[in-house]
Amino acid sequence: MDEDIRRVAGTILGAPLTRRTVRELLYCGVGGLAGVAGFWITVAMLAFGLTISASVLGTVVGLLLLILALRVSRRLGALHRRLASWLLSYLVEAPPKFQPGSGILGRLDKRLRDRAAWRSVAYSLIKLPTSAVQLYAATVACIGLVDLSYPELWLLFRHHNASQLSPLVALTPLPFGGTIKIYSWPGTIPAALLGAVCVLAGTWLARAVNAGDRRLIRGLLGPSTMAERVSELERTRSLAVEDAAAALRRVERDLHDGAQMRLAALAMNLGMAREKLGDDDDQAGSAADNTATVRELLDAAHRNATDALADLRDLARGIHPPVLDSGLASALASLAASSAIPASVTAEIDPRPAPAIETIAYFCAAELIANATKHSYANQIKINILTERSGLLRLEVADDGIGGADAGRGSGLAGLTQRVSTVDGRIRVSSPPGGPTTVTVELPLRA
Amino acid sequence: MRVVIAEDAALLREGLTRLLQDRGHSVCAAVDDGDRLLAAVAEHKPDVAVVDIRMPPTHTDEGLRAALELRRRFPGTGVLVFSQYVETSYSAQLLEGGAAGVGYLLKDRVANVAEFTAALERVASGGTALDPEVVSQLFRASRRHGGLSTLTPRERQVLALMAEGRSNAGIATELVVSGGAVEKHVASIFAKLGLPPGESDNRRVLAVLRYLGG
Repeated sequence: MDEDIRRVAGTILGAPLTRRTVRELLYCGVGGLAGVAGFWITVAMLAFGLTISASVLGTVVGLLLLILALRVSRRLGALHRRLASWLLSYLVEAPPKFQPGSGILGRLDKRLRDRAAWRSVAYSLIKLPTSAVQLYAATVACIGLVDLSYPELWLLFRHHNASQLSPLVALTPLPFGGTIKIYSWPGTIPAALLGAVCVLAGTWLARAVNAGDRRLIRGLLGPSTMAERVSELERTRSLAVEDAAAALRRVERDLHDGAQMRLAALAMNLGMAREKLGDDDDQAGSAADNTATVRELLDAAHRNATDALADLRDLARGIHPPVLDSGLASALASLAASSAIPASVTAEIDPRPAPAIETIAYFCAAELIANATKHSYANQIKINILTERSGLLRLEVADDGIGGADAGRGSGLAGLTQRVSTVDGRIRVSSPPGGPTTVTVELPLRA
Repeated sequence: MRVVIAEDAALLREGLTRLLQDRGHSVCAAVDDGDRLLAAVAEHKPDVAVVDIRMPPTHTDEGLRAALELRRRFPGTGVLVFSQYVETSYSAQLLEGGAAGVGYLLKDRVANVAEFTAALERVASGGTALDPEVVSQLFRASRRHGGLSTLTPRERQVLALMAEGRSNAGIATELVVSGGAVEKHVASIFAKLGLPPGESDNRRVLAVLRYLGG
């Protein structure tokens, strides 16, 4: 209990001495001034725009002024966001960029309906009272600093001729309550105490108002969650569609170059064998030769047929591995068993995810194992898959190899990241040079 | 007959070579891409070149473009284009310069060795060889339903075989009828459809195709 009180007191009293305080107070000053200026600019342009467009003659000019006000307001919003990210270390993403419409009426319409711009206007308007409080906090802190310095100043400049100068006036934070006049050095002590209190008060007031400002910035100057979600969905949808098209192209290519080609060779060999057999009534003498050739052709045809079957089997497995039907655990076990590098699997999957998620997880594991086999020179691969309490499926593939895997470098990892993001999943790669490498894939249980 | 083969799948290339050599033809060169094909034809001046449409590097239509180039530069050499699919636009491009010494066959046709070599020989001697599948697609896509419906079923068969580029003798063998019967059908078809009569085999291919194309 005592410990806690001491700790809290320490935090409160020690706050003014932190770097964070300096930046917050700086934000109050700069941001406050910017807020005030921004407020007046916005209000002036809006007022002009509205009043001018109210008159019939000035409608066009007024509307243009309004649109200009909206555009300026967006820029102001960007300025405030940048100040906050620089001084408060509070990063808020910009709202989606403005998309102009087409045709004159379309462009007017889109500009006037720009929700992000109107939200910036709202911010600028609310920023006025906020700025007032911020500037006040900064002022109080400055007053405090000045007052705190009085004992030192007295000692430095007034000690020897105290009686000859007019009394020193201590600054007070409140506009009322009179002034404090100081006649002697001991009198500077109360001023210093007042200064200390002011500094503390200014610091905490700044923190409080900045916290409120942060909320405002997030709510009014950031992307609205709806817009964010929609643009994310659009992006992943196009990824999903392209992924599907690419997969189909691969299947077509595999069929053409593999099974189709072998079956054509098979047909040719059988055709030639048939020809040979058809010949034997006119070439009785070389019947033995013919049989040998026919046997050769049939052997070749048989090889073509078995190869075509193998190709089709591989292709089918690449589309949907039958082993997945009995669950991810057994599918991963079979992947591990056929891996060139010894691999072990631990699985705790309950409840069972949707089939689409199982397929994605399976192909992720296959690709990651292939990557490790090709690049990592590892001795052991560990595969771990489990359902977390939060309802996520987590797949980890770790190897003890040389590391250096890079999700950005055009490897299969980029493709995996794309496919995983189409179901709102995530991939995290930890692969320092020298190893070990761990890739974690998180997927929802339902697609 | 002297032949140059261009096919990127080794299995098929060797199979074709063997098939033709068994029949007594001479395979001057067997290459696997378009540039090598042009070089081989320039060097050996064969009677006919067998060209796969899909070849490296892009595996789209290198073979077709090489074939068109061959037609331009070596008009004496027949070109038989091979494909796993029927693409009617490819056949249209091939026939643009006339139907003499041009062929377009599906790879499936190699299964019947006799037909394949007959088609190749036709192309080598300046005739035409279109795959029956190509012809039936053209028939299906044709808007000349009115005209075609005036033909008897036998006449439609003869028309299809004419479109493939077969001679009267070839049609007679295929349909197991006499040459005279074929000539009668041909005359009747030409009269019903209003086509100019008395043309050589490959010119009448063009006439039929032009008719079908509406």
